[in-house]
Amino acid sequence: MSALGGGHAGGDGMNPVAAVVGLVLLILALGIIYVLSPGMAFMALIGVIIGGVMIGFGVHFVPVGGAPAAMGQSPGIATGVTMLAAGAGLAGLFGGAWAAELGFGVALAGGAIGGGLMMAITCLMVNVVYVYAMGIPAASGKVAKDPITGDTFEAYKSKGTEGHGLPFISYVGGVIGGMLGGLGGTLIYLELLAVYEAFLPAALNAQAEQIVPLAVGLAGIFAVGLFLINAVLAAYNITGTIEGPHDPKFKRFPRAVVGCAVASAVCGLFAIILVVI
Amino acid sequence: MSVQITASEGGMPHNKVMAIGLIGSIVCMYLTYLNTITGTEIFSFFGGIAAVFALWWGTDTIKHLCSYGLGTGVPSAGMIALGSGVIAMILATKLSTMGLISSVMIIPIGCVIIAAIIGAILGYIANNIVNMNIPVMIVSLAELCIVGAITILGLSAMAAGSFVFADLVTGSVTFFGVAIADYQASVIGGGVIAVIFMLGAIAVQHAFNACLGPNESQDRTLMLAAECGFLSMIVVSIMSFAFISAGSAILAFIVSVLGWVYTYNQYLVMSKRDAYMWLDAKPILEKKEA
Amino acid sequence: MEELLFGIGISAVAGALATVSGAAEDTESDIGSQGDPNSQVQLAPQMGYIHRIYSKAISGEPPAYGLWCAMGAGLAWALMAINYNPVLAIVLGSAIAVFVQGVYATTAYLGRTASLAKFEQPVYIDLIKSVTTVTMAHAFIAIFTCVAMCFLMVNALGHPFPLPLLGLVWGIALGAAGSATGNPFYGKERQYQSQAFGAGVPISASGNIVRYAEAGQRSSLDNGWFTSKMGGPASGVCFGLIVFLELWRTIFFEGFAAGWGAVIAGIVLILIFMIIDRYVEKWARKTYGPYTEEAAEEASA
Repeated sequence: MSALGGGHAGGDGMNPVAAVVGLVLLILALGIIYVLSPGMAFMALIGVIIGGVMIGFGVHFVPVGGAPAAMGQSPGIATGVTMLAAGAGLAGLFGGAWAAELGFGVALAGGAIGGGLMMAITCLMVNVVYVYAMGIPAASGKVAKDPITGDTFEAYKSKGTEGHGLPFISYVGGVIGGMLGGLGGTLIYLELLAVYEAFLPAALNAQAEQIVPLAVGLAGIFAVGLFLINAVLAAYNITGTIEGPHDPKFKRFPRAVVGCAVASAVCGLFAIILVVI
Repeated sequence: MSVQITASEGGMPHNKVMAIGLIGSIVCMYLTYLNTITGTEIFSFFGGIAAVFALWWGTDTIKHLCSYGLGTGVPSAGMIALGSGVIAMILATKLSTMGLISSVMIIPIGCVIIAAIIGAILGYIANNIVNMNIPVMIVSLAELCIVGAITILGLSAMAAGSFVFADLVTGSVTFFGVAIADYQASVIGGGVIAVIFMLGAIAVQHAFNACLGPNESQDRTLMLAAECGFLSMIVVSIMSFAFISAGSAILAFIVSVLGWVYTYNQYLVMSKRDAYMWLDAKPILEKKEA
Repeated sequence: MEELLFGIGISAVAGALATVSGAAEDTESDIGSQGDPNSQVQLAPQMGYIHRIYSKAISGEPPAYGLWCAMGAGLAWALMAINYNPVLAIVLGSAIAVFVQGVYATTAYLGRTASLAKFEQPVYIDLIKSVTTVTMAHAFIAIFTCVAMCFLMVNALGHPFPLPLLGLVWGIALGAAGSATGNPFYGKERQYQSQAFGAGVPISASGNIVRYAEAGQRSSLDNGWFTSKMGGPASGVCFGLIVFLELWRTIFFEGFAAGWGAVIAGIVLILIFMIIDRYVEKWARKTYGPYTEEAAEEASA
């Protein structure tokens, strides 16, 4: 996003006390749901946590260069990491929600492929613009060689920049990130949808068929909300920009995984309590 | 190389802004309850005013938080605020049917409390687990979550005329002259809450995002925040034609337009005051070499 | 069979609408100067370069378009709920959404520019009159086509999401695709037109954006015709492909293997795009060659 400084890097380590407090919160959330409604609601919360972790982990794969990338000064896609991940993940959610009636596995796979396809096309068009419109080859600034193709980058960096475009490793990272985002978003949606479809008819004294649009609307807006929370936390973890899985910042992902698990557990708890009490 | 986030010092202290915003928005939320007492829908617009108070306060919070440098855009703060706020808000609307206290008067206060809990936990995660190490992170995210929740609650109440879960999920459709209950024609079931969600998410971050810079001044930023709030109210008032009586919706529309015209005008005046120069159809003024 | 043909036809229409939407979105954001390249418009006065470029700092394009499209869809939904004709409802909804977009644009320009008073950047009030209307016009095309596409998905293809939620989902995806594809072209090629072609902008040149046109002074309107030559169409192709292929693979292959056919088709499509990308990358390396001698390779080998 525009007009921002690089911010300060938070270092790579994890604060052990905070991690323990986080895990206690996570177990507390699971415990509350288990006491209130073991069985389906409990399993749904576990699904929401897994989905949140996938989103947080997936954001680390998405190559985003922020403002300098728009000037060809640093590699990656020239936009904000949260919203690029959201764009891919929500495109996946579209596909997953559409396939929901075909079964759990197909819907999850559909969501993942939807997100991956969105990123595959977007990353390709980014490279097409760099190569055919601006005459700039791809070069990474963080590593000397592409871990997949073995291309060298040092000589392909233009003067005074940190690299530009999307090298193949970043492309693959983008597709994986889109897939994980789509998968996580769809998983959260499906779990919440199942809970609402099961509990809402009793809560509102209505028939199951009548309740479907409401369950879809509620699960949809909560899935979007949870997606944004997890994506923003992951974006805070990488302080805005990352080149993909080969970037040294990628090693920070355990913090985001713990953070997103706790955040999803707490928010998921509130979203499920809505209907089970 | 890009622009540093700079914000002005001084002006109204943040705690005062917070107190006015919190109390103002809660009072306005309760005023929408006049709808139920009097059996009409004409007091719905107070929900929008509650959202304006909340956005006004949230802008000052975002200014405090972002002056530390988040490493990613100002808009991300708005996204996390509303993402957590929507969960707190929908849970709060259902509090009155959950057993403990059966009066719907619990909802606005309950909304603030639930949002504060979620926001504080998210703040702890961001600050300690993700290692942001920003001193005001926990308090700010708790405040932003409350702001997000009240904004959505207020604008939803404005659209539907009530802040109770049952009213937000049930609409009515006239079918051959007979009104029947339909969940699809409701604020939540119809997805109107998605619009309210985005209206809040952009409005809460826009004022500071648009005014940041070395000559940012608090009164101008906060005036823009109020302007964003009234602008959002205009949109919600048009959508509320689908839920409440036309007369009430027209009243809400008039109130929002009046508020918007006043705040937009004031914002123009303040921009003119703060600008280096205010030129109409003039060429670039090159700086003189020193 | 007829149902299938109907579905494919709707996918094609939705894809075409998405293409227009993507192209209009990128052109709009370049005329208004939104998103990442706008950081340079901000930076220029600090470096001593006073300019007459618009500065639409609303937020990144994805959240902004998430709001515009959700708003257009929500207003259209509400108008349809009070028995407006769908076409009229979508047009009116988009028009009101564009009004909000225009107001946000003016406040963003005034806010950012007034806050730069320290660097002697004046507010050019005539820009508000000339540029805002043009960005609003482009935004209307982008929003209207996006909402119309979402309407088709709900009413013709039977997607379960309500219309406003689909507007939010596809609005964010539209902004993400448009900003990712279009930003470098506006940021590097247009703002830094005076820098060497075929290379990134050296960090030392930051802020030295082009401020004068062939004749007179560059206005943001000039950026529209430039980026509509490449950045806009590329964004349109990007978003159009995303929407069309997502719908097409679902409708055409969902019948195979209990729904897994669509998944397999998606994987094949991703692999095809991956191969094309690798080809483009290798072509660039071979054709353009390195900027400096590859001395580093022997040293590291």
